[in-house]
Amino acid sequence: MRLVRNLVFGVLACAGLLPVAASGNSDVERLIGSPSNWAMQAGDMYNQRYSKLNQVNAGNVGKLQVAWLFSTGVLRGHEGSPLVIGDMMYIHTPFPNKVFAMDLNTQKIKWKYEPRQDPAVIPQMCCDTVYRGLAYAENKIFLQQADSMLVALDARSGDVLWSVKNGDPSLGAVNTNAPHIFKNKVITGISGGEWGVRGFIAAYDINTGREVWKAYSTGPDAEMLIDPDSTTTWKDGRIQPVGRNSSLDTWQGDQWKIGGGTTWGWYSYDKALNLMYYGTGNPSTWNPSQRPGDNKWSMTIFARDVDTGMAKWVYQMTPFDEWDFDGVNEMILADIPVKGKGTKALVHFDRNGFAYTLDRTNGALLVAEKYDPKVNWATHVDMRSGRPQVVSRYSTAQNGPDVNTKGICPAALGTKDQQPAAYSPKTKLFYVPTNHVCMDYEPFEVEYVAGQPYVGATLAMYPAPGSHGGMGNFIAWDAGTGKIVWSKPEKFSVWSGALATAGDIVFYGTLEGYLKAVRKSDGKELWKFKTPSGIIGNVFTYMHKGKQYVGVFSGIGGWAGIGLAAGLEKDADGLGAVGGYRELSQYTDLGGSLTIFALPN
Amino acid sequence: MTVLGKCIAVSVCSLMLMAVAWAEDSALYTVKDGYKVDAATLEGFKTWRAAACDRCHGANQQGLVGPSLLESMKVLSKEDFALAVIEGRLEKGMPAFKTSKKVTGNIDQLYAYLKGRSDGAITRARVRPIE
Repeated sequence: MRLVRNLVFGVLACAGLLPVAASGNSDVERLIGSPSNWAMQAGDMYNQRYSKLNQVNAGNVGKLQVAWLFSTGVLRGHEGSPLVIGDMMYIHTPFPNKVFAMDLNTQKIKWKYEPRQDPAVIPQMCCDTVYRGLAYAENKIFLQQADSMLVALDARSGDVLWSVKNGDPSLGAVNTNAPHIFKNKVITGISGGEWGVRGFIAAYDINTGREVWKAYSTGPDAEMLIDPDSTTTWKDGRIQPVGRNSSLDTWQGDQWKIGGGTTWGWYSYDKALNLMYYGTGNPSTWNPSQRPGDNKWSMTIFARDVDTGMAKWVYQMTPFDEWDFDGVNEMILADIPVKGKGTKALVHFDRNGFAYTLDRTNGALLVAEKYDPKVNWATHVDMRSGRPQVVSRYSTAQNGPDVNTKGICPAALGTKDQQPAAYSPKTKLFYVPTNHVCMDYEPFEVEYVAGQPYVGATLAMYPAPGSHGGMGNFIAWDAGTGKIVWSKPEKFSVWSGALATAGDIVFYGTLEGYLKAVRKSDGKELWKFKTPSGIIGNVFTYMHKGKQYVGVFSGIGGWAGIGLAAGLEKDADGLGAVGGYRELSQYTDLGGSLTIFALPN
Repeated sequence: MTVLGKCIAVSVCSLMLMAVAWAEDSALYTVKDGYKVDAATLEGFKTWRAAACDRCHGANQQGLVGPSLLESMKVLSKEDFALAVIEGRLEKGMPAFKTSKKVTGNIDQLYAYLKGRSDGAITRARVRPIE
């Protein structure tokens, strides 16, 4: 009888008829509920990057000192951060994507996992061999390898529990994103917009690795999990169904099949709405003349039902991209006053230089304002159509192939790239690491060859002219009004994820290698420390044995650290101000390490 | 100045403006004013940008994740160069371009362009045709 009852229970549970999984993943939820842990890459499912810990605070942060250091043994760019679950810290590296499980009581490595990956994947990665981190749930560590293998490891032993292939690296479909755990699924995306990869987001069962659903960014409605009648978008100042063939009608021929819209950013989840949020990247190629149309749904914010994958709403930020303004940056969920009205908001700092505030329940556009006054490619976002109003002079499509369009702000890496911002529920403000960089952009005709780069534009980047000469700012932003509250200039792009804490401070790292703490109220720098290499990792914090620790990866690289030093040497122009990123070599060099700070005893 | 003197001056000027590199019996590249090049060398540049070599070697070949080609081209033989491009050096992050007809069909032109940059004869990465 008991057997029968168990069977019945099992069948019902499998069919989703019992309310057993009515949570955002109860294990992860429990873990993120304790500020001692850092159980998700952003600390929570809202992507807020906020900690309730306040042992380290504005009054004593000046005394912060190094507690311990750890070398990862990998040289290239170190993005993301470790996870802390109880007494264990889980540390990842860029390719070859090693995982270390460290016992914080003894600081001994309990286990180490290093996957076997074909080195052929390295040249298939556009912008350094970065990897943005692990996920944890129910005694499992989820590793998203560069070669697209998604692997579940036993968190206690490092043994492989299952693995699944998410893409074909020989075609340029590789991974750099962190997997995210929402409910009983591990959600992952794909990179390769510069190889003509057709972007998608996929959900796998955390226990088996079985693919539960997969939704493309472009193509036929069914393959995008878009319902023409129930999936909505912002049009003519209101929410309306997207209608049939909403993507296909915006591409010429079969270009959508090699049209990008990849998904390598940070995703968030609202349990009450059962919706997950993420953005899609640039349409391929970078030569806009080869893909006339709005290129939907590249450059788009998606809200999807996490169980079925069905799109609830979409909003395209940059129709017909001409500048490589990927829309993948993190979607931060926060309940804030917007123009005086309490709102379940989604806040997104886009590469295109506009910060968007939407109603996350339905995708209504509420605020879209420049978060760097130097942004010039569009005058403003028309609030009725939701479309940016492009300035002809900066239109690389209107100027055409083989013409160098000069002075576009921001540069391709955006006013902000993947480096995630933080939100403080105490101040209701967002703390945003930004780039202050402009560019010249020359598109050219390029032929698609499977597995080969499919870029089609040459770029030169330089500090925003007529400004403070630096290439970055760290700003505080009011998403309810769309205004900068304060802005702190930085010499280089701020390519490190911020952390806000209940101690009234915000942390971020710099490309020179400084970890800095600033006051929330006015951005005043309270403390800094020079770590072994440039910082492109995200700051995190945890509590162990009653003591608060703050940590960050060092390890210069990524697009800013290495890729960017590129365009700056404009040999012909004789620009005196070229200094920019080239000067970075005067401050730092490669080298991956983790630095952990604490107050003295 | 004598007529002869003028002639010499003009000739010297011409030599200064026009750099021609010779390999075996034919010119490897022809460049004028530092950035105007012959059709084959221009094709080499177009191959360079189509294959997105700048993403690793830098917009001006100065090196990034990948080595500086301004330096490498001084020591690589043409055969070694072709082998590295066609077969790649995967463990170092250099892709194999054997499936790209643009690259395989223009390997000589690519070599000429990069050699011209490395020699210092082509002074701008972005070249234009000689009118």
